[in-house]
Amino acid sequence: MKPVHILLLGIVLALLALPSFLTPGLVNAAIQMLIAALFASAYYLLCGQAGMLSFGHAAYFGMGAFATIHAMNAIGGTGLLPTPLMPLAGAIGGGAFGFFAGYFSTKRTGTYFAMITLAIAELVHALAPHLKALFGGEAGVSATRMPAWGFTFGSTNEVYYLTLAWVALCLTLLYLYTRTPLGRLTLGLRENTHRLRFLGYNTHGLAICVFVVSAMFSGVAGGLLVVSNEAANYVLFDAHLSASVVLNTYIGGVRVFLGPILGASLMTFFGYAVSDLTQSWLLYQGALFVLVMMYMPNGLAGLFGQIGQWRSRFGLAALIPFVLLALGAGLLVGGGGAFAIEMLQRFLSQDYQALASANAAGTWPPIRLFKHDWSPAAPGTWLVPATLLTAGAGLAVLARQWLRRLVQREESNRAAAEASVPGDAA
Amino acid sequence: MKPYRQIAGGLVAMYLGTGMALAAPLKFGIIDTLSGPQSSTGQLYRNAMRFVVDHINSNGGWNGEPVQLLEYDNQGGPAGAADKLKAAISDGVQIVGQGASSAISAQISEDVRKYNMRNPGKEVVFINMGGDALELTGEKCHFHHFRVSGNAPVKIKAMVLTMKEEGVLGTKVYSINQNYSWGQDMEQAIVDAASFGGYAVVEKTLHDTNKIQDFSPYVAKIAASKAETVMTGNWSNDLLLLMKASKAAGLKVRFGAVFLDQPGNIANAGEVALGHYIAHTFNAEHASPESEKFVKDFTAKMGHFPQFIEPQGTWGMMLVAEALKNVKAEKGVLNVNTLAKTLETTKIKSPLGEMSMRAADHQAQLPFAVSVVSKAAKYKQDGTDMGFKLLKVYRAEEIASPVQASCRMQRPN
Repeated sequence: MKPVHILLLGIVLALLALPSFLTPGLVNAAIQMLIAALFASAYYLLCGQAGMLSFGHAAYFGMGAFATIHAMNAIGGTGLLPTPLMPLAGAIGGGAFGFFAGYFSTKRTGTYFAMITLAIAELVHALAPHLKALFGGEAGVSATRMPAWGFTFGSTNEVYYLTLAWVALCLTLLYLYTRTPLGRLTLGLRENTHRLRFLGYNTHGLAICVFVVSAMFSGVAGGLLVVSNEAANYVLFDAHLSASVVLNTYIGGVRVFLGPILGASLMTFFGYAVSDLTQSWLLYQGALFVLVMMYMPNGLAGLFGQIGQWRSRFGLAALIPFVLLALGAGLLVGGGGAFAIEMLQRFLSQDYQALASANAAGTWPPIRLFKHDWSPAAPGTWLVPATLLTAGAGLAVLARQWLRRLVQREESNRAAAEASVPGDAA
Repeated sequence: MKPYRQIAGGLVAMYLGTGMALAAPLKFGIIDTLSGPQSSTGQLYRNAMRFVVDHINSNGGWNGEPVQLLEYDNQGGPAGAADKLKAAISDGVQIVGQGASSAISAQISEDVRKYNMRNPGKEVVFINMGGDALELTGEKCHFHHFRVSGNAPVKIKAMVLTMKEEGVLGTKVYSINQNYSWGQDMEQAIVDAASFGGYAVVEKTLHDTNKIQDFSPYVAKIAASKAETVMTGNWSNDLLLLMKASKAAGLKVRFGAVFLDQPGNIANAGEVALGHYIAHTFNAEHASPESEKFVKDFTAKMGHFPQFIEPQGTWGMMLVAEALKNVKAEKGVLNVNTLAKTLETTKIKSPLGEMSMRAADHQAQLPFAVSVVSKAAKYKQDGTDMGFKLLKVYRAEEIASPVQASCRMQRPN
């Protein structure tokens, strides 16, 4: 077995054991992470492999969700399928709508393709609240998970295992797809469409096919969300969802199969954990995206690949100080930045400004942050983030220097090796 | 017996002893939109819940312990609310509050119903502070959902009665609303009020929600209809742009708008807002010792006088606080079913008058105030020289709307 296989086996075993260690709230967060991972992976097929940047993938996710909720409510609430098979309805819903939308949008490529997908998604989003019978208006459609196959599906753990099984199956299928001749042709679609056409392939048909597969798996993800939430609302068609799958995919890395899965899981957990702590969490999410795009264009997965490459070039022992310095710099800059943002946000908030102006003494009341009271007028308060940021920047410079020295050493070693061994050309 | 065993036994006994004396504190949870573009309203509901939880704790808490408030950000949508409800329940929250958006209220209400059905003995209760869609107390009503705010028929009735009394209503009314459950409820209420308001609805319009940038075509329609009064449930940009367009067109018309007091509205609308009417749950200039005390206490804690939905959130939760006084702990914890039954018969004296809960559909019966935008108002809005001048206060029974026939509530035995 290759190390990758052992790693994957370990992850699957850990995921299987997860519910016995976590609170129901965290198990539910894990469900959301799995669903986001599947959605991002389905999106990656279209965006990463076929090179078609879609800005409206929420449409297929949402169609899958509504197909599932109506399947659950069919036949007087007993359901069209047993509960564990419900996401199949999502696959059909997402795939069918994907065929319709894909037929039109894949007639164009690049920016035009992106704009058409965006237009179709917005069309659905604008239309949905008016079709009350289908999309339930503002209150949405609600359903109940029925017991099936000896399970009640009443507890979060049972839903977790159902979601895990579906996500594992779909990710395996998506991976196997990349190994098929069709999967290789998908890459060709990204690299050189003209050449494919010249070789006699029907590129429009091929693009529709990829689009439908991607939409179908997005629909499964939507169906899983509905099975978990037992409700669907037209808000699912919101551009916010289309944007977040793009962000997740790019943050994770758009060139590697596991990248979007990693990005989506991490960002979903980030939203779950941080949104209750601070109302500025969207700012952090955006800042993270910008930083990843600026310094790691291949995403988080690309970072691991880069570190692996450096390890084989410089050796593990020489790389450890660099990794420690870089981690330290990241933590300090992150801590300093978060402190400054949280402090400013509290200081500039309406509530605080009103309290301060009501204060007769004319002094600034202290602001509570990280279990301490800070006075906004004291220079010491602002010295904390300034020190953290400066120290972080210092460590970052050191890390760069260390890396440069490693590269120089490698070059001088190579030069020495070339000098000591007479060249073949001689 | 060896000494260490005695020590261990003693420790176990102490642990059990403290466990009994100090049961887990009662937890309130707010699951509202606390970040993103729609967060301003959610944060006001949070102010209300913080105020009431502090109030309970300054009066000795519940069961001899301070109660806790846990805050969850639903990230602006029903799906996020469903996640955060599960998180809240797993954190031990028993009383859930929310108010911004009927869509989110519907999700939480349904999820609470299903959770309670599957987990008897571990019920939670949902206090809906502002999801005004009628179906939540109609076909979707259930035993563990309580709406402590008003609804479309109540607000319209209060507004129509006052405007008629003031002689500004006229006989031609134009109804313009957003095309979703709330706007449709409002339109129905405006049509239904025509009989006692003595007016005719000359035209009804339902338009897209918060998407329209230019209301001038609608204003042209209003002008053509010769309406004297425009009634609307619009909020946020839809209200603001509608009023601005009517000013730009020189339309001589009076507005009756129930969300006119949303912070920022008056500042944005400017002089256009003068002379328009509103029905709301509280007006800070109401002259009574209770109102003055409430305004003083609230301002001291929050830095501004209670406005927009803060009073309805606060007094809705005060109703829960009052009910809690009459519920004893069972084995150190709250029995939510007992609380819900007690809540059905609870009455409090809110600043505007008596407030109670109707058992049949869990729709709170609360007094309403009707005010007009004026420069003579005592409390100015948004730093302008305008504010809401209080005209009239209605007792709950004067404006109550009947129980909807679609509500079939299942009660626990």
